[in-house]
Amino acid sequence: MSYKLLPLRFERFNNDEIFITNEVGEFTFISKDKFEQLIKCTLNPQDETFLNLKAKQILTDTDINPVIEMLATKYRTKKSFLNKFTALHMVVPTLRCNSNCRYCQVSRKDVEAHQFDMDKSTAKKVVDTIFQSPSPMIKIEFQGGEPLLNFKIVKQIIEYSEWRNLFKKKDLEFVICTNLSLMTKDMLKYLKKHHVYISTSLDGPRDLHNKNRPLQATDNSYDILIEKISLCREYLGHDSVSALMTASRFSLERFKEIVDEYISQGFNGMFLRSLNPYGFAKRDRRMLGYTMEEFVENYIEALDYIIDINLKGTYFVESFASLLLTRMLTPFSTGFVDLQSPAGIAISGVIYDYNGNVYVSDEARMLAAMGDNKFLMGNVNKNSYLELFNSEFIRSLIRSACLECLPECSSCAYQSFCGADPVRNYSEQGDIVGHRPTSEICKRNKKIMHYLLDLVKQGNGKIEDVFWSWIIRRPIENNVCITSS
Amino acid sequence: MKKITGIPLLDINNHIIGKITYKPIKHSLRQDFIFVANGEKLESGYAAILVTKRNRDPKGTTILCNLEDIKYLNTGDVVSIEPNGNINVLYKKNSVGNVLLVTERCNCSCIMCPQSLVTKEDDKSPFIFKIISLIDNNTQLLGITGGEPTLIGDKLIDIITACKQRLPKTKLIMLTNGIKLENFDYVKKIVMVQHPDLTIDIPLYADTDTEHNNIIGANGFYKTIQGLYNLARFKQKIGIRIVIHKLNYKRLPQLAEFIYHNFPFVFHIAFMQMETMEVAKKNIDILWIDPYDYNEQLEKAVTYLWKRGMNVSIYNAQLCVLPKNLWRYTRKSISSWKNIYLEECGKCDYLENCGGFFASSLELHSQHIEIIKKN
Ligand code: SF4
Ligand code: SF4
Repeated sequence: MSYKLLPLRFERFNNDEIFITNEVGEFTFISKDKFEQLIKCTLNPQDETFLNLKAKQILTDTDINPVIEMLATKYRTKKSFLNKFTALHMVVPTLRCNSNCRYCQVSRKDVEAHQFDMDKSTAKKVVDTIFQSPSPMIKIEFQGGEPLLNFKIVKQIIEYSEWRNLFKKKDLEFVICTNLSLMTKDMLKYLKKHHVYISTSLDGPRDLHNKNRPLQATDNSYDILIEKISLCREYLGHDSVSALMTASRFSLERFKEIVDEYISQGFNGMFLRSLNPYGFAKRDRRMLGYTMEEFVENYIEALDYIIDINLKGTYFVESFASLLLTRMLTPFSTGFVDLQSPAGIAISGVIYDYNGNVYVSDEARMLAAMGDNKFLMGNVNKNSYLELFNSEFIRSLIRSACLECLPECSSCAYQSFCGADPVRNYSEQGDIVGHRPTSEICKRNKKIMHYLLDLVKQGNGKIEDVFWSWIIRRPIENNVCITSS
Repeated sequence: MKKITGIPLLDINNHIIGKITYKPIKHSLRQDFIFVANGEKLESGYAAILVTKRNRDPKGTTILCNLEDIKYLNTGDVVSIEPNGNINVLYKKNSVGNVLLVTERCNCSCIMCPQSLVTKEDDKSPFIFKIISLIDNNTQLLGITGGEPTLIGDKLIDIITACKQRLPKTKLIMLTNGIKLENFDYVKKIVMVQHPDLTIDIPLYADTDTEHNNIIGANGFYKTIQGLYNLARFKQKIGIRIVIHKLNYKRLPQLAEFIYHNFPFVFHIAFMQMETMEVAKKNIDILWIDPYDYNEQLEKAVTYLWKRGMNVSIYNAQLCVLPKNLWRYTRKSISSWKNIYLEECGKCDYLENCGGFFASSLELHSQHIEIIKKN
């Protein structure tokens, strides 16, 4: 009996098992012996392993064309984020900020430095550019600085976008990323009227949050934040406010407390984010930074803790795990800009600085703030949409940002779940292609993916229920949470 | 469909189709009605008259039937009468299990087919159009089945179109093996009818071509898959059906996985017990497994899909055979005329909720039938 192998990638997963995936990320674990047989073409077609591999289009002993057809269909689905082009448009209404965040990577400007505000004509140009994106979904996200310090431009952008959308009829969404300290009832009434979501930052319990994110005016930013969160919820509804955390050196060893803080503040999810230590000065790096190993260790501990909380009946999602699990366990594509191949920079998400400069990502803007304009796409006041998004620069950047053709990634068994990030490679390693064995991001992703896959492999039905409740965003119903194992 | 035996009091030359009525009908409309007489003097003009006592003055086609059988027929039902007097019940007004059997030919020969098929037949479509014209237009649900309905080609499109025009409120479920749907243009024609509520249900029995083709006795697997893709391209509402037997029960969880990863667009997935008639009965030795013995695989498959947000059901199953956590997926789905219960079921507290048995299961059914008492 003979059979043919179809495209596959594999890795030794542990001492006895090989992790093996097809071109679209469907996977299975097989023993070393079976793997040996598989590649020598001596697997028995009646064997369960053979049938499993065949059903996943890793091999075929009959037709090939329809099998390729099936893989192609799934491949199109997995890559369907590409059909839409740029959906996420981040806008910086001002660089001014009233915070004093320890790890701030944006060259924050003084509260009075009005020359760093976006002006009206630039704001209009930004919206005009955004609405030339072919994406049927447009998400405009206000970043900073502190956007509330230039609320009149925020309003102008919202209203002008809504007006433009009367004709374009896209699925339009607004998010404002703010420390909330300046939020007023009038602003909230306005945001409610225009269906704006709020994304704020909460780094943990009072002392930790205050340490990471002090305001310029007071050291107790935490109490102000908590008070404003409840005000926002009162006006906009409970689920209109989400929060992000960034882990500094001070946060390590305290992830559980941070999780508890999120739960006690009524959030039903969080994103455990690592800091990008390459964005700030060496001195700060030593004080605030940490190694990826340290982060991953803390992350995994926190993840276990969160899973446990879910098992005890509280629905609470860790978004990074949820995202990776969605990529591993479903046939669908995900819209998260940092975890895509080709990379999401520019083609999925883009950022417009206060002066109209357009950068491929937030990190690219930070590089520019430090004097490196490598990832500047142009300026809305000078360049047309096509010049910005269809330049040879963007094309060549995206061409070299596909995992499928990056060294090491191209044969990595985790490729289908992972993403390319040339800006990060560049800021970390001075080169957009980068060197995987020493890449911090690769280290983090690989370890976390391995850990999640190991949990999946163990086949604990209860944990599987938790994962699926995250993926499909539906709390587990107790009476029907059935464990089959 | 149910058959009633009758004795023609005068010779009949051809098939007669009509709608049952117990009340006299205006003369000009009578030709579409079959009048159930109750001893009164017979009048002419009806397509046929059913009587329970011999009548010395038959008017046109008059059929003598047994009183018990007649009771089965209600106003609005549609029946056909064969020249030998046999009455086929084509449509029951108060049932949700009505189907149009558009052909008895098929391009597969499934190892567990519960029907007897033919290789040659006359065009049934005039007959089907007639039935459609007689069906009550408040009917909720109507099946289109065979044989393999797509074998009648464009006639099928005409039938769906007729349903859309005559029965716009009726939900249609068409059962097809999907092989002919490999042809994109044919699928396009079906979809272009723009029927307001059409579901196309397609069986898939295994996660590899070899196993599936072995079960259906044809080289259909990849054609059916292409058919599913074609339907999906038009966003057509699709269901997948899986009949479970000894040849495929072991890999039900893997089949669920296969469906989720390749056809996440399907609207509904149904797992069903086998009906042990005809071909299935002949092959019973290689097919039969006590449904109780595949509970483990069924549970894995069903919960796998449910967790992923898919809409999944179990058809034709008895509650006492299933683990309790699967009860919520069961649907009563056996057409009423062949749905039976065992004698002991009478004492079961869950009789009302239970799917019961196919009539053919009387001889062969699970060894684990046991009445259940509420707490
Ligand atoms: S970045 Fe690392 S984990 Fe991700 S695909 Fe490349 S080699 Fe694999
Ligand atoms: S005893 Fe009969 S009615 Fe009761 S669950 Fe079993 S099959 Fe159904």
